[in-house]
Amino acid sequence: MPACLLCHRSTEPKISLPWILSWQPLQQPVVCQACWETFTPIFSSQACIGCGRAQTQRSLCHDCQRWAPMAFDNRALFTYNEAMQAYFEQYKFKGDYRLRQVFRAVLTAKLVSIQADFIVPIPVTPDTMITRGFNQVTGWLNDGENLSWLRTTDAAKPIPQSHKTRQDRLLTAQPFELSPDAPDLRTKTVLLIDDVYTTGRTIRHAAILILENGAKSVIGITLAR
Amino acid sequence: MQATELYGRQLVLTPLAAKELPAETQKLEALHVTAQQLQCQRCGSLLDRQLAQLPRHQFYCYACITLGRVSTLTSLYHISEPNDFPKKGELTWQGQLTAQQAACATMIRHQFEAHQRQLLWAVTGAGKTEMLFPGLAWALAQGWRVAIASPRVDVCLELYPRLQAAFSNLEIALLHGHQTDPYRYCQLTICTTHQLLRFREAFDVLIVDEVDAFPFAANPRLGHAVEQALKPVSALLYLTATPSQDLLRQVRRHELGLSYLPLRFHQQLLPTIKVTLQARWWAKLKVGCLPRPLRRWLADYANRGQRFLIFVPRVAQLAVVQAAVQQAYPELKGLTVHATDPERLAKVQAMRASNVQYLITTTILERGVTLPGIDVIVLGADDPIFSTAALVQIAGRVGRSSERPTGLVRFICQSYARPVKRAIRQIKLVNRKGRRLRASMPVVSPLD
Ligand SMILES: [Zn+2]
Ligand SMILES: [Zn+2]
Ligand SMILES: [Zn+2]
Repeated sequence: MPACLLCHRSTEPKISLPWILSWQPLQQPVVCQACWETFTPIFSSQACIGCGRAQTQRSLCHDCQRWAPMAFDNRALFTYNEAMQAYFEQYKFKGDYRLRQVFRAVLTAKLVSIQADFIVPIPVTPDTMITRGFNQVTGWLNDGENLSWLRTTDAAKPIPQSHKTRQDRLLTAQPFELSPDAPDLRTKTVLLIDDVYTTGRTIRHAAILILENGAKSVIGITLAR
Repeated sequence: MQATELYGRQLVLTPLAAKELPAETQKLEALHVTAQQLQCQRCGSLLDRQLAQLPRHQFYCYACITLGRVSTLTSLYHISEPNDFPKKGELTWQGQLTAQQAACATMIRHQFEAHQRQLLWAVTGAGKTEMLFPGLAWALAQGWRVAIASPRVDVCLELYPRLQAAFSNLEIALLHGHQTDPYRYCQLTICTTHQLLRFREAFDVLIVDEVDAFPFAANPRLGHAVEQALKPVSALLYLTATPSQDLLRQVRRHELGLSYLPLRFHQQLLPTIKVTLQARWWAKLKVGCLPRPLRRWLADYANRGQRFLIFVPRVAQLAVVQAAVQQAYPELKGLTVHATDPERLAKVQAMRASNVQYLITTTILERGVTLPGIDVIVLGADDPIFSTAALVQIAGRVGRSSERPTGLVRFICQSYARPVKRAIRQIKLVNRKGRRLRASMPVVSPLD
């Protein structure tokens, strides 16, 4: 019997009604139901229309009102809670690449539900590829590679993002650039994918760059908010 | 990084982190990849290619990832153990060993000297930590590097202050998973067996305490850790009160020597287990009805004020059993306690201080808890949750003090399950040896 990727107990093969109605797809479950239920999905009817955080109604949250208006909005799949923090600790920081399977299906399902011309994962730095060995976002989408026409500049991430305070992160200069083989973005809609929306600074940097290069709009999708 | 941090160790570093290492550092392959096989060089696991893959044809070990990830992007860094211990800590312990403990201690020392591999089967309450002292003192005086490892963190935490008190001038390193202190190079290390995976050819003497405690028995990686942490010429001592079938098999194949300490420190035998078969004990208790033998025992306890423990297989049964006991004997005062009970320590303390007469508990009290003068009842001892080792340990809770070196261990079962039979047999075997030992040393009396 396959074991749950998170708690390592063998997973129940029987499929219950709540399981079917949950976000988890019907294929062989990679995590057990108990572990899956520790994650809190966000419903778009009860989320900020700017950053995707869970709230009581569909409106612009306090934080988002401070950003200059632009053709960008973010949607998040899950609230960044303790379980999500533990997941990222294991997947991204400990580097347990097997855990990409946990959110692969639900993220893919979300992407196909949105109309866009390009799907662009936020890249990691070349140093991260040497130490971690994978891009955590493309791990969910396909092969964990770091190849994209959106790439990090040499100045990017001098200190790990997770060690910065909100203030530091808001002040960071543009950490992205477009590679020479970037397509013509004029009038296009671009879907940007990142792992977590925290202050929004990182994904907004990428969105600004893409909008400056002529895109009509940018939609952000993050696993957690 | 300091050279001492790498003495006898194997640390995983990425090329970025390994830039400024001492010149004598050896760089070793971290993950061995062939067309057929993928093997972690730290924990020895053979890995599933699909699960272990990273992008760009890289691989990682998912088996020992809690210690930091081993991958083809990293190497292991090692400096061979120089035994650089200028200051030697001698034994400051002033206690006395019984004649049998002393005999055992001498034997342990000889095994260290001869670089032997040995299993010491010492009954619970034999005082095995003290018996290690003479051998440890000798090994430390030789400038040897020594480790005492246990699969259980709580055993390590208990051993550390005792060893520190016995060798008060010696710096001792304590290593386990929940720790934030930086690593220190010390002549004596106390650690969990898991932490041994970070060592390579480090120890001249390695002692593994409570070798049969979970999860060592179930985890083949830890056997690999033991082998890897030992120097090629070294002594290995396993300590157990309840040897597993696997260890006894190694003894039969002469891979391990075996010695017994069948008597407890007060020269008494282990209490034997008395089994009472009761087909429907749980069905009865569930409706608040105590099985007849249990009723009889409890009446006697209520009468005499005798303290006791009741073990049950499952946490959910605790409250049911307590309710039934309380209803029948309201004068008996007791508590229930289980592994994740936040008030666990306070409740055990209440029992120790005789503020309550009994505890109803799950297996959590089986090791390391000494409550002098108690009796034990195990309900459903045939439940698969109780292993042979657990049952022997539970029986070993009884008769721990010189004042009351005997006591009663009673099991209520539906049937004689294999672990129950094996536990009874193990106790009989060591008691037979104990009787023989006592007969051969008639003048020995316990020292105070
Ligand atoms: Zn699980
Ligand atoms: Zn918002
Ligand atoms: Zn490994």
